[in-house]
Amino acid sequence: MPESTDLLQGTLDLLILKTLAVESMHGWGVAQRIQQLSKDVLQVGQGSLYPALYRLEYKGWIRSEWGNSENNRRAKFYRLTATGRKHLETELATWDRLSEAIGLVLGRAAEASS
Amino acid sequence: MITELLTRLRYFFHPRRRDDFANELAFHLDQSIAQKTAIGVSPAEARRQALIEFGAVESTREQCEQQRPGWWISTVLQDVRYALRGFRRNPLFSISVVATLALGIGATTAVFSVVDRVLFRPLPYQDYDQIVSLGMVHSLEHQEFLMGRFYLEWKDNQKPFGTVASQSTGPHPCDLVENNPAQLDCISFQAEFLPLFGISPLLGRNFLPEEDRPNGPRVVMISYALWRGHFAGDQHIIDRNINIDGDPARIIGVLPASFQFPTLESADVIFPMALNPAIQQTTNGGFGNPMRTFARLKPGVSIEQAYAQIQPLFNGDLKWFPASAKSELRLSIRSLRDRETQDVQPVAWILLAFVLAVLLIACANVASLMMARGASRGRELAVRLALGANRSRLIRQALTEAFLWSFAGAVVGLAIARTLLAVFIRLAPTGIPFLREAHLDLRIAVFTMVLSFVCGTVFGLAFALQRPCSATLNARASISRSHALLRRSLVTLQIAASIVLLSGAAMLLRSFEKIEEQNLGMQTGRVVTVKVALPWFRYNTAQKSMQFYLNLESALRRLPGNRAVGIADSIPPGGWQGDFRYADLFVQGRPRTTPGTGGTVASRWVTPDYFRALNIPIIRGRNFADQDRNGTQQECILSRLLASRLFPSEDPVGKQIGNKSGVAGSTVVGIADNVQNGGLTEQSLPEIYSLWRNVSDDWAGNRVIFLVDSVMPAASIEPWIRSQIASLDRTVPVEMEPLKQTVSTLADRPRFETALLAFFAFTGLMLAVIGLYGLLAFMTSQRTQEIGVRMALGATKTNILSLIAHDGLRMVLAGGALGLGVALATSRMLKSLLFQISVYDPFTFIVVPLLLCLVALVAILIPARAGMRVDPAVALRNE
Repeated sequence: MPESTDLLQGTLDLLILKTLAVESMHGWGVAQRIQQLSKDVLQVGQGSLYPALYRLEYKGWIRSEWGNSENNRRAKFYRLTATGRKHLETELATWDRLSEAIGLVLGRAAEASS
Repeated sequence: MITELLTRLRYFFHPRRRDDFANELAFHLDQSIAQKTAIGVSPAEARRQALIEFGAVESTREQCEQQRPGWWISTVLQDVRYALRGFRRNPLFSISVVATLALGIGATTAVFSVVDRVLFRPLPYQDYDQIVSLGMVHSLEHQEFLMGRFYLEWKDNQKPFGTVASQSTGPHPCDLVENNPAQLDCISFQAEFLPLFGISPLLGRNFLPEEDRPNGPRVVMISYALWRGHFAGDQHIIDRNINIDGDPARIIGVLPASFQFPTLESADVIFPMALNPAIQQTTNGGFGNPMRTFARLKPGVSIEQAYAQIQPLFNGDLKWFPASAKSELRLSIRSLRDRETQDVQPVAWILLAFVLAVLLIACANVASLMMARGASRGRELAVRLALGANRSRLIRQALTEAFLWSFAGAVVGLAIARTLLAVFIRLAPTGIPFLREAHLDLRIAVFTMVLSFVCGTVFGLAFALQRPCSATLNARASISRSHALLRRSLVTLQIAASIVLLSGAAMLLRSFEKIEEQNLGMQTGRVVTVKVALPWFRYNTAQKSMQFYLNLESALRRLPGNRAVGIADSIPPGGWQGDFRYADLFVQGRPRTTPGTGGTVASRWVTPDYFRALNIPIIRGRNFADQDRNGTQQECILSRLLASRLFPSEDPVGKQIGNKSGVAGSTVVGIADNVQNGGLTEQSLPEIYSLWRNVSDDWAGNRVIFLVDSVMPAASIEPWIRSQIASLDRTVPVEMEPLKQTVSTLADRPRFETALLAFFAFTGLMLAVIGLYGLLAFMTSQRTQEIGVRMALGATKTNILSLIAHDGLRMVLAGGALGLGVALATSRMLKSLLFQISVYDPFTFIVVPLLLCLVALVAILIPARAGMRVDPAVALRNE
């Protein structure tokens, strides 16, 4: 099993929101999707997944409702709300700026050391 | 933003259902198992692996729960519920904590509300600490006064003050003449007076300089009370003309509601003083009118400096006074606060000290109780920590409990404070400034609440914060040595404080007893005093007054059960009496005594029946005879004290004496025994009785008091007296009072002070004893097992008794010794309140410790008995 990387709380929130932006999904699905997309680098355990989902829901960014899963079992589906979508956009913009900045710093640092 | 808030609110009010979460996690787990079986793992193994990956469900649930907005509120509620459950489980403990807190908070708040105005609160004047009262004081007048002549001179020549202004001495009655007449109090002050105190009128304006001049326009200012009451708060009152004593006067201003005369007198109508310098040089024997003078110190000038600068002016003025008066006059400059409250300040400080000691005891009690609780819960806390409770949660819990207790204590305490204050005001005698206006001070209520809260919290937290060692889990109950020592010292301190309080109260009680018991030198039980105020416009000559009073005298003599009907211009032991200087007294054929020595002599005009009514024995010579009242010879009787001072080696009877103020030749006919005449607590003065004759000159004054001594009780004689007076003139107002009651009223103030301090002393004692009992009972219960072992090993009940009692007695003895030392060292503070009692009163300092030991013994024996009854078998099996 590849070593899992600890996620900062804010990053996990961002990942969940991004995942739910495509389609509404249950908790298991979210965890699986993040794992797939990150090529098994990011593994989200239920211990951090569910508190994060609850937190986002309490903030009103996502909303939950019970529905039927692919194999016809009752499951709780989460979907992004309008405020959640707006929040995701600002967060993504912030993330881009931040990662670009960090990339710049690290890139320069790499040049200097080589 | 709004939607977010709404979402939060929704979840706040509708918490999720618990099984919601369980279902969701179950689905997650099933999916995980399904995924593993899909790649070929056996169902059992898949389930095992999934569960391992899954981790702790319960902690996730808790974490999810904690995401909920308002989650912390539910934990607070949980803490509160837990605390309340704890209180119910141990009601005695909770009641003692709440009662202790309530008493401490209640007593402190009530007392502080009373003394605050006397000692601390700013006076209602601008920069009041720079205002002083200045003038001369005299053995007969302890409040500063200045005669007009000197006032004008000082005002012109002084340097230390910015403004100097005067008011007239005391309000005098005046009549508002109109359709709705009223008797009012009138006073006058100068135009500079209000600005000196930084007061501006509520309506209208202050006096103008041209109004404050001789023969100026007749204008007045009126008090807020008169404006609201009599004039119904009329906004157009300014420039209205009213009629005072028959002359019109124009209202130019209304004083603000908060205005208070610095002399604490009250008046309704204020005239400009309109000082006429020329008249002040001639009137009243060239001295001018007396007045009360106030001044504002220049910045940077202290009262001492001002005193030194005014001293030469004062010394220069002494030449105007007769030699006899010189030595008794002093210059006095006092701060405004001292002028207002100097004579009650000692009581106020003592009261404050008492109540702070009570608060100290209360806090120590709370601390000690909390520590006991903490110690007994050490194990519980250790278990909770071991089970994963985090420290901050435990601290929050301890705080919640402390807060609940303080809150309950504060609620009950405020109720106690209100009651106490109402009782104070009810019991309070007149003449204690500001007491009647005292109201609950919320600042101090909050302060005491916070103090007791802190006190409870600090000691409650000490245990929550303590890192429990693993031993705590095993130990049935462990009380660490340092804490036991701390608690012991707290109880010792409480006992010491209550000894101090008790001895103070005991001395006051003894002193009060002396006041009550002292021999007044006269009988007061059967005498009713009757005062009749004759309206001057119908009795406008001394002859008419005399006729009325003599008719009344013979009417009263006809009353059933009458023993004696005396007339006097004043009655001992307190109140007004005609004092004069001993040095003014002279004996015919003997040189005058040195001026200014000998203090004062009480002078009373009486009829012969005065001595019979009050049962004052004539120990030498004879009483005045009834026929002497019609004679021409002026006669007098000396008190034993005066006789022994004037005639140490001769027989005074038959000697001629006189005083400067008139009567040159008065024959001494007898000597009466001494009567207490300087109030209840002061030294008695030497006294001279002059015969009140039936000549109109003797009846010019307006002080006429009848003393009716009757075999009938006062209540049944009073209607008779009233009807006798009404038959002579039914319009005159009559005042009647049993003399016994008059005397008892004089003792009101010491009675009040004693009752108050005694109350606090006993509150303190009760708290201290509760503290002692609580500690011993707690320690005994903690040592049950130890006692069981000891008994199993052969200790007798006596051994156990001494084991426990020894512990308690050590604290009592140490606390007693400490308290006694402090009490002896501080008892001087009480000196001004004590009457005929030494500050080292041996009775007090023997009885109080004995009393405390007795009470403490009870507090020790109850837990000791419980200890003796421990059944070793039960105690050991209890392990």
